[in-house]
Amino acid sequence: MTGGRVAVLSSAQTELRPAWSGAQHIDLISAVVGAVFKGTGLTLDDVDFIIDSGSDVLDGRSISNCGFLGAMGAHHKEESRVEEDGLWAATYGTAKIAAGGASVGLIIAYSKPSESDVGAFYRSQCEPFYQRPVGFDHDAASGLQAQRYLAQHRLRPDDLAQLVAARWSDAAARGRVSVAAAPTAAQVLASPNAAAPLTRLMLARPVDGAVAVLLGDAEVARRAARTPVWITGTGHAMDTHAFAARQAGTLQACEAAARAAIARAGWRSVRPSLVEVSASSAVTELMVLEAAGLAAPGNALRLCDRDSPVAVNRSGGALPADPIMATGLVRLAEAARQLSHPGDYGLPASQATALAHGAGGVGMQSHCVMTLEV
Amino acid sequence: MLATPDCLPIDLAPLASDLSMPYTLTPGPATGVFLAEIGRRRLVGSKFRTSGRVVVPAQDFCPVSGDSKFDLVEAPHTGTLTGFTETAAGLIALVRIDGTDEDFAHRIVGAGYADLRTGMRVAAVWADGIENSILALAGFAPAPGAPVGTVRPLVDPAKAVASIDYRMDLHYEHAFGPFYGRLFDEIRTNRRIMGVRTPDGEGALLPPREIDDISHRPTGTWVEVGQTGTVRAMSIINLEFVGQKQPPPYIYAEIMLDGASTRLIHTVSGIDMKRAKELVKPGTRVRAVWRDTRTGSLDDISHFEPIPAAPDGGGALTPGPSAAERKSGT
Amino acid sequence: MSRHVAIVGVGQTHHARRRTDVSQAGLVREAVDRALADAALSIDEIDSIVVASGPVLFAAVNQPEKWVVDAVGARCKPVVRVTSGGGTGLAGALAGYYQIAGGQAERVLVVAYDKLSEGALQYSISTLYDPFWGREFAVGIMGFSAAYWRARMDVLGHTEEAAAMVAVKNRRNAISNPYAHVKQEVTVEQVMQSKPLAWPIKLLDVPPISDGAAAVVLSCEKLAARSTSRPAWIRGMGYFCEADNAASRSMLVSEPLAIAARRVYRSAGITNPRRQFDVVEVQEPYTCFELSYYESLGLCAPGEAAALIKSGATLPDGDIPVNPSGGCAGANPIGAAGLIRLIEAAAQVMGKAAGIQIPNARLALAQSGGGWANLRGVAVVSA
Repeated sequence: MTGGRVAVLSSAQTELRPAWSGAQHIDLISAVVGAVFKGTGLTLDDVDFIIDSGSDVLDGRSISNCGFLGAMGAHHKEESRVEEDGLWAATYGTAKIAAGGASVGLIIAYSKPSESDVGAFYRSQCEPFYQRPVGFDHDAASGLQAQRYLAQHRLRPDDLAQLVAARWSDAAARGRVSVAAAPTAAQVLASPNAAAPLTRLMLARPVDGAVAVLLGDAEVARRAARTPVWITGTGHAMDTHAFAARQAGTLQACEAAARAAIARAGWRSVRPSLVEVSASSAVTELMVLEAAGLAAPGNALRLCDRDSPVAVNRSGGALPADPIMATGLVRLAEAARQLSHPGDYGLPASQATALAHGAGGVGMQSHCVMTLEV
Repeated sequence: MLATPDCLPIDLAPLASDLSMPYTLTPGPATGVFLAEIGRRRLVGSKFRTSGRVVVPAQDFCPVSGDSKFDLVEAPHTGTLTGFTETAAGLIALVRIDGTDEDFAHRIVGAGYADLRTGMRVAAVWADGIENSILALAGFAPAPGAPVGTVRPLVDPAKAVASIDYRMDLHYEHAFGPFYGRLFDEIRTNRRIMGVRTPDGEGALLPPREIDDISHRPTGTWVEVGQTGTVRAMSIINLEFVGQKQPPPYIYAEIMLDGASTRLIHTVSGIDMKRAKELVKPGTRVRAVWRDTRTGSLDDISHFEPIPAAPDGGGALTPGPSAAERKSGT
Repeated sequence: MSRHVAIVGVGQTHHARRRTDVSQAGLVREAVDRALADAALSIDEIDSIVVASGPVLFAAVNQPEKWVVDAVGARCKPVVRVTSGGGTGLAGALAGYYQIAGGQAERVLVVAYDKLSEGALQYSISTLYDPFWGREFAVGIMGFSAAYWRARMDVLGHTEEAAAMVAVKNRRNAISNPYAHVKQEVTVEQVMQSKPLAWPIKLLDVPPISDGAAAVVLSCEKLAARSTSRPAWIRGMGYFCEADNAASRSMLVSEPLAIAARRVYRSAGITNPRRQFDVVEVQEPYTCFELSYYESLGLCAPGEAAALIKSGATLPDGDIPVNPSGGCAGANPIGAAGLIRLIEAAAQVMGKAAGIQIPNARLALAQSGGGWANLRGVAVVSA
């Protein structure tokens, strides 16, 4: 990557909960902004700019960043709202620091899906004349993707249930996601059909939460981070809006995004030791892993075994906890933490490379990938 | 998070907010003709000139190449089921209409999930009396053995529909949190307006929140703010718009209540509107007029009214800049 | 700023009160086709796309960049949407600028648009406000804008007459702008007599509601010459904000605008904006704002804006022409307006501001902003 090097200095996250019913958006945001500097020796005064991700439709407010600027610590600073998943905001922040002229950037993403109707949020992205009236929506896309993937690779819903249970169990163990009782594979299979053949628990669970990531240039990283996590590659790509026109059985935009990030990182035959990927369902999680080049088509399930050479979604990933608009930034925070504190995740100390992924849109239309190294 | 000095958490049911917005959406040329024709049981598609790709329903731009040059075609009513699922919305399917190059997302009617198989033949089922909507097509039903149709040029296309009426209804349940919870509980129960002290102690922040917007430091203790205040800015509203709470003309005012350092938006009334410009201006002193029954919202203050000048000339005069204003020079 | 970035192609739709012949996607495509043609490039040669549109409730399609991607022909390219109320267009350009300056792309297409005829503008704007506090009494952008103007009247002398002169100037300038759709000369008296909507804002102080799109192609220095021999170099760009619930938020001066101007002037080597700039384009959601910008941008001292407009200096033949394009008075597709101002400034220094060219313009300033007037940015472009 040309330009100056950029590192993740630190991150902070609220607990991800089905409903933060005792808090407003600004409370979640100001909590993570207050906590993100811990251990860095930096303060808000050192921050040159803020890039934030949120959704007017989820927030119920137009120009919603406008009402949250104080909580974001953005007063009299340069600020920009990316109305897309927070990993895109982090990509923007990375470019800004690499360009010179700014040394420290604060990236914030948040949402409170509990305050509105997540179905309506996704439906509002669908084409208004052809898709919305007939009921095509995000869940339909998940169901159609799953039907195709399972048929193509001769898999059954039972195969997915184990994966989902493992994700919930990991999320419960990490302590950053509110999990009443992690479901067993049988319970995953028995949950009501939501997008046949997928059951409700096979779809990502929307949660409320906020996350902040502090980015810095090389000089700041030397001072502020015990283990700077270098962002060595970024890439993003958007597929066609027409779901039916996307190449079936693949996530081409994810392939393009991963290819771009990996090329920028110069990873010719490097495979990341760990990955944190987003997903709309258990099936798309597998499709993302394959699109990122980590497994051959149909083989991603094997990659998710505990003894595979790649640690996948040790945070639990998006299935137990999908803070819409923030999920990819949480993946970045989690991947960075696994690189700098592998012991906390039961990982061996030699983790050197990671891949973080975020997505947006109905049926995961757009994808963003970052490569990280320590 | 959420440290609330000298305050017990107050659990208020969330604030319900309904956004109901009318629209007139423009479909554009290809979609406009599709919608115009579907009431006549014609399925219109686009055949893109560069690639020859045929898509139904008609699009202005090829989703694969971005090509914007196309001819309109008429598609047959039969096709093959390429995928299906069942959600809360019903049975949603992908159908490859005969002779086209892209699947068509629509509903399945006349069959259940268990009856369907990818690869089966399906045919269009029409809904009577529906115009200018893709729902004039009720969906697709299994049609075993249906012969394969062909795509033909569209003859005598109807004029594109120029706009479609649409409505977006979004419902929210906004959490109060402990600060707004206390604020509105005090407003409803005690007719008191409570702010929190700024970290430097000069003037209260209203509405109250945990973290000060400027310094990002925790705010101070609760403090009651006055029922009187000073107009800092005003406008006379004559504009009418959807969702307006009161009919014009009325006064929009930004008022700094005594003891507060932020302005609140409200209305000033109880005056002769023909003399509004002279009676209400920056510096005018006003007081809150409460409604008899309160629900715990800013609307419990019905309006502000100017404080009449005292016989000795006092009362109507602005009390002079607050400490915070002196500091910032406004 | 390490890598130099230039605007190498620009395009706008002919803005209109209402376009019934194209959808939002079609509007975007028009502007994109024009900008690409102007840059002598095809979409394949573009590395990345930034879409900037106003609040999604304006037109009922959430995350509309995901819909218009097909119209742009950008399948499987990087596409991201940036939004910032009225300042969206400039915020989009800023994001595109950094993609190049930061080494993530060499050529970026930034397209900004709004199709305001689709929805109930005031209603959607009302949701800008906190549902608990202020929404029920607020009156869109017009209410607070009028109220702040009223406050400035007393302290800074921004009279109704001075604002009316802004309307007269901009409406006359718009007549020569091929892309504007309101082409109607007015007199100061007509503005003063026009219906008060949110007094002191009157009907003729208010820009139109428009459907329109605008696009620019940004290029790294290395590739700029492939598109044009006269690019508009970006000398500085910044976009700052202030928290809304801040004690004593000033209504007299825009602090985020002043901060943005200070920073950008420093990077661009501007020490005397009045003398150095050949032309200025500002986004005036109401005429009163243009007076305020004269002061916050340092074109005159605080309290001198009325004198500046009266002097004629900001007319096209004055020493500091402001809004020779007509500003928002000629066309106001809100999400695009900030990019249109940047395009008009760039077109001036590229020598292609047809009909409204300021002779020998080499250094131009563009301003944009949104929200509660608490999001503000500027850009400086040069030949």
